[in-house]
Amino acid sequence: MSENPADGVAIRCADLIPSSPADAVPVLLLHGFGTSFDMNWRAAGWTRALEAEGLRVLGPDLRGHGDSDKPADSGFYLPEHFVGDLTAALDRLGVERVDAVGYSMGSRLAWELALTHPERVRRVALCGFGPADAFEGVDLSDPGSGDTPFDSVFRNVAGLPGNDPAALAACARGQASRPFRAHPPLTCPVLVAAGSEDEVAAGAQELAALCGGTFVEVPGRGHANAVSSRILRQAVVEFLTS
Amino acid sequence: MAEESVTFTLPDLGEGLVEATVLEWQVGVGDTVGRNDPLVEVETTKSAVVIPSPKAGRIAELHAREEEVVPVGAPLVTFVVTVSDDAPQAGIVGKVPAEERPTRRVRLKPPAD
Repeated sequence: MSENPADGVAIRCADLIPSSPADAVPVLLLHGFGTSFDMNWRAAGWTRALEAEGLRVLGPDLRGHGDSDKPADSGFYLPEHFVGDLTAALDRLGVERVDAVGYSMGSRLAWELALTHPERVRRVALCGFGPADAFEGVDLSDPGSGDTPFDSVFRNVAGLPGNDPAALAACARGQASRPFRAHPPLTCPVLVAAGSEDEVAAGAQELAALCGGTFVEVPGRGHANAVSSRILRQAVVEFLTS
Repeated sequence: MAEESVTFTLPDLGEGLVEATVLEWQVGVGDTVGRNDPLVEVETTKSAVVIPSPKAGRIAELHAREEEVVPVGAPLVTFVVTVSDDAPQAGIVGKVPAEERPTRRVRLKPPAD
């Protein structure tokens, strides 16, 4: 566990050292809303794929998720709080610089980390993410009650073992209070990838173009099932190792 | 070295889920896979996962098509695995001397083509 010096919130971060390490930048995997490192990345085959490339994987459970602290106040879930958790974890692990790979909300945070700490991020892969406001039309006093794509995500994850619906609702409110802005764009190498049926990632291709990056579409996949696709994994591994 | 076929069923994916949809096979019949190599990508109502191969061996048969819903415990894939003759066998203490090693190849089930 590493503690954010600003507010004392502690997060768990897996540190997976490959058996034959390549001389390469470690990969920071940032999971999506309502999941965890294990569920979003490990179970979907990512840690095996990266291990096979000799890449060191750093896998935090974001605050409010997994084995990390779960404050129930939305004031603890602003983007800078997550970024503070990540830099504290990297400092504790002695890691200067990473490649950041996100899924959904994790992509938004990868963007935020690269924007505010460009010296710590070499490349960014944004998966299952677009510039549209994911919280548009959501009743934030009762997330999950409506019929937006985010409401559907919320309903799906609120009942997962280990999740705290109150903390997740607070997280949603905190994130929604600072809508994503694509300006200024990132200047490091960027890959944007999303399922062709992913409504949450609307505008992903334009976001890639804005950053001078590459866009990869995963045919036939939506927000919930693009993450485990071989096409997505291979695209990100190629982007990180090229 | 002998070969035998082993069928792997859809494991319990937790959370009380009773079935999963096959999204994409990561292997084909005739492929040789290592233990923990990606085997099949499946989706439940809760998440999408890649199931790693529980064995090293050759893929003899895939028991579900892509987009098919498979109940937990139903056959997923059949492997042909090589069984080392040096492996401990029931009723035998110590190693069988090399010159007495049986030459017969054991196949419990014909390969499914």
